[in-house]
Amino acid sequence: MTPRRSGAPVVARLAAGLAGFAIAFGMVSGMAAPALDFTAGEKRRILRHGPWPPALAPNPSNRVSGKPAAIAFGRALFFDPRLSVSGTVSCASCHRPDRAWTDGLPRSRGHRTVDRNALSLFNLRFNRWFGWDGAQDTLWAQNLRPLLDPREMGVGPGGAAQLVRSDRELSCGYRRAFGAAPGADDERVFVDLGKALAAFLETQVTGRTLFDEFRDALALGDAAGMARYPAAARRGLALFIGRGNCAFCHFGPAFTNGEFADAGVPHFIEPGRVDSGRLGGIRKLRRSPYTLLGSFNDDAQRSTAAKTRHVRLRQSNFGEFRVPGLRNVALTAPYMHAGSLGTLADVVRHYSTLDEERLHAGGERILRRLDLGAREQADLVAFLETLTEKKPLHEATMKSGNAMCR
Amino acid sequence: MGPWRLGGPVLAAALALVLTADRAAACPRPQGWTGGAELAGELWTAWWRPEPAPIPVSAHFSIRFHLCGPPVDRVRVSGWMPDHRHGMNYRPAVSLNGLSGTAEGLLFHMPGRWRLILDVRGAAGREKLTAETVLE
Repeated sequence: MTPRRSGAPVVARLAAGLAGFAIAFGMVSGMAAPALDFTAGEKRRILRHGPWPPALAPNPSNRVSGKPAAIAFGRALFFDPRLSVSGTVSCASCHRPDRAWTDGLPRSRGHRTVDRNALSLFNLRFNRWFGWDGAQDTLWAQNLRPLLDPREMGVGPGGAAQLVRSDRELSCGYRRAFGAAPGADDERVFVDLGKALAAFLETQVTGRTLFDEFRDALALGDAAGMARYPAAARRGLALFIGRGNCAFCHFGPAFTNGEFADAGVPHFIEPGRVDSGRLGGIRKLRRSPYTLLGSFNDDAQRSTAAKTRHVRLRQSNFGEFRVPGLRNVALTAPYMHAGSLGTLADVVRHYSTLDEERLHAGGERILRRLDLGAREQADLVAFLETLTEKKPLHEATMKSGNAMCR
Repeated sequence: MGPWRLGGPVLAAALALVLTADRAAACPRPQGWTGGAELAGELWTAWWRPEPAPIPVSAHFSIRFHLCGPPVDRVRVSGWMPDHRHGMNYRPAVSLNGLSGTAEGLLFHMPGRWRLILDVRGAAGREKLTAETVLE
């Protein structure tokens, strides 16, 4: 294994030099510039954020994963408000396709306002854990959570199963997806609805971005391709993989290590009530019947259950929340688990001026106040914007319609 | 300078070489292994290897190990990031068969310097065997 090298100061100096050149010749910040010479170590760190998209494979815990009939059925369920106890709230109420599968609110509202921000639904198939606290270990289990929570949809197993049995179109969709009519066991039918929804949501993979074009050009040594990447984004990338230490947690092609961190944002939901984050998430996971260790896992070998079997509960999990992936991040404001930061600039400023006393780090030393200058903050934002695709996938989703049982 | 002054370090170095050679001879690479690394302690020496290799960042892996030394009652395997002062988010399960074993469920969740720790206990005592690796 190769010792890690830190070349960030060199890059910073080079970037500053290039910026000076740009200013001297009247070039505006953000326009394309000659390729910056990253060190070998920096190149390796950049390349590990791709290639994109990754290879896709069905999820073994879900017997209808990847099946077109299940995808169509799941899409119909996603937009159907009858899956709420009031008949007025659908999954799409908080995860709007025209808002990159979020609702734009700090804390979402189903029947009542909940404690957390609606996560976008992009790239969920690559997650290890689901939800801000990781209380679910599969996408199908995550889909059951709002159906059970009265603040959100709250229809419950009995209501959901009864709806599917009694509605001709939903019953047809179920039969096509699962190969048999919905049975008498409410809970089995209920879990199957989560699996059909998962089959649909697995299709929501973000497209290629300006960053991917740069990353692949770097891999090929394509100087012309690299030069098309804006100078500000390139400086921001150097910060992201270097002094900013962002890539410790926002690692890999999806820009997340799939785990949880205390980012130093307030834990209080309201005076006297705190959100325990991952600590409560692991406790919920261990109580849940809907996990990879339970009887609803369609994979008899439990081949993906190692995470659930080995996950460790520690007091330091208090106040930790999901490290979200950053693809399409420019579309998913507001940010953090309770939507406390309105813009990407606010997020970068948060880390730049981080109050280290606020961290419940238990001695950990990952996050540090970055003290970034105004231009460095703007560069990081410019880089983050290049992780967002030009033509988001939700447009295609809307056009594809619902051809379940017609 | 008298001969003892010169000879002392030389003799010590020679003795160390002999001891190292003895230890290596006493703990050969397990049969059938093509890779792996050796960890030498006072009481035990271990050969270990990850599966898959090299260790991936933020994906589960296991290790196989073989110990040389006195009988072992228990082995615990853990990971630690010294620069960040945190361990793993997962607790590996160790299955031990005599002096050989497997630890399942490890996950190093970020790039950087990690320390793999084999905490070995037996009637002869307790010893932590450690190896460091840098993940990119």
